[in-house]
Amino acid sequence: MTARVPRDPAAPLWRAGVLLRVITLCFAGVVVAAHHGEYARTWLAWAVVGGMAVWTLATGLYYPRRGAGLWFTLVDLAVCCGLMALSRWALTPAQLAGEVPLVPTVWVTAVVAFGAIRAGMLGGTAFGLVVSLCNFAVRGFVDIDLLRDMVLLVGIGFVLGLAATTSRQSALRLAAAERIEAATAERERLARGIHDSVLQVLARVRKRGLEVGGEAAELGELAGRQEVALRALVSAAPLESSSGEVDLRGLLQVLTTERVHVSAPGTPVPLPGSVASELSFLVREALENVARHAGPSARAWVLLEDLGSSVVLSVRDDGVGIPEGRLAEASAQGRMGVARSIRGRVADLGGTITLETAPGQGVEWELRVPRTW
Amino acid sequence: MRTISVMVVDDHPMWRDGVARDLAERGFDVRATAGDAAAAVRIAAAVRPDVVLMDLNLGSESGADATREITASLPTTRVLVLSASGEHDDVLQAVKAGASGYLVKSASAAELVDAVERTAAGDAVFTPGLAGLVLGEYRRMAAEPSPPRLTDRETEVLRLVAKGLTARQIADRLVLSHRTVENHVQSTLRKLQLHNRVELARYAIEHGLDGSP
Repeated sequence: MTARVPRDPAAPLWRAGVLLRVITLCFAGVVVAAHHGEYARTWLAWAVVGGMAVWTLATGLYYPRRGAGLWFTLVDLAVCCGLMALSRWALTPAQLAGEVPLVPTVWVTAVVAFGAIRAGMLGGTAFGLVVSLCNFAVRGFVDIDLLRDMVLLVGIGFVLGLAATTSRQSALRLAAAERIEAATAERERLARGIHDSVLQVLARVRKRGLEVGGEAAELGELAGRQEVALRALVSAAPLESSSGEVDLRGLLQVLTTERVHVSAPGTPVPLPGSVASELSFLVREALENVARHAGPSARAWVLLEDLGSSVVLSVRDDGVGIPEGRLAEASAQGRMGVARSIRGRVADLGGTITLETAPGQGVEWELRVPRTW
Repeated sequence: MRTISVMVVDDHPMWRDGVARDLAERGFDVRATAGDAAAAVRIAAAVRPDVVLMDLNLGSESGADATREITASLPTTRVLVLSASGEHDDVLQAVKAGASGYLVKSASAAELVDAVERTAAGDAVFTPGLAGLVLGEYRRMAAEPSPPRLTDRETEVLRLVAKGLTARQIADRLVLSHRTVENHVQSTLRKLQLHNRVELARYAIEHGLDGSP
């Protein structure tokens, strides 16, 4: 599998910014034509429009190809402010103080957009502020109209910056999800391979070994242990999904041994990572307990059920069981050990736990945890 | 008692011959073996065994498809899935396609003999893992428009199977007869298979695959 070189997910935004610049250039040309002859220096006004056209062309070729570094957007910002500043000599003092727009007019909006696309909310807001301050400086005063322009420029920078950041983040998440998917496919391919070869042979060796007996039985026993361990390993689901949730089945299936059997649904049981690892910890505790107290030949079964609104985990063993009263007795003496630590942790998850036992009939734990998180 | 006739389907010659020999030694009539799905369907139609032991990983082919064809065309032949597969989706697919039970390949020869005899007698052979899968499948289907449902008793029995209790232990615990427990287990499979057939037929009609104009 070859990793794809990530294209900038904000590429369409760069192109849109260039389009905005072309349209606003046309608008500026129309405004200057409308005021033709009224300027202090009409030739300078047209020269500024010419400079804008050249810069629009240059950036129009540069930006869409591969976005731009922060330095280039800063150069862009300087050029825009410079062209605005030239209005001070192109316009008459009366025009500067009145309703006539500066020569670049709304053409300067595009640089705010580029700043936002490059550097996110912060960049967009900063570029909007710089352009507004430049506007104040050229005019030489601040009034309601100029403040309104500032609010709009800063607002555009903020919103576009947010959009650019969000689209980059979702592209990253998508790429991560694709990687997990590819890894899963690879793992499944491996699992099938192991399945068709090694597992079959181990299963056969175990079976024949046990039938032949003697030393062969010991070898068969060893092969069987490896078979179970290997099967648990290859059948374990990938641990984390792209949403950060974990399939609890994967955490439980690796607990399979010769004496521990794990049953689960055929579809994933997704839980937040912390809850899933807590539950698998509790199951491991219960299984430890079986190994310690249920007797050497005891087997255990783990059942995972997903009821939608809650998850139910059962751990049953066929060992010697807990003599009547011993749990209560231990509890009264304040040394509940396992039972209490399990109870406390289940309660922390908002769940309940029941324990059933009788002498000679093994122990059965049932954990119910609601999906309220 | 009549000798039970069997057929072994597995793409691994070593395993296929080993199982066939085990069964022959224990008095079963091993009618045929097959190494791929197409041969399995063809040969089963010719020899009509009582029980087909079906592996699920037949190279690139799926044992579930072969299971569907065999159980559809041979009403008296039962399919017992014998797979090294962890108990996963492919097992569920085979069972929905009509298999009467499932056994892991690491099961002992005695367990295998018992499973084949019970399959021939019409019982459903469940492992705890299969019970967990079937329970999960009913719960998954509950979101569908007209899902099959388990009775409370069937759910209870299936949960106990999934927790490793034998039919005998379940009968004792629920104060039922052994036969009643077997019937409950079988019923959970039958409903699943019936629902699957209805769904397939509905799909065929909706997509014009049933031959009607």
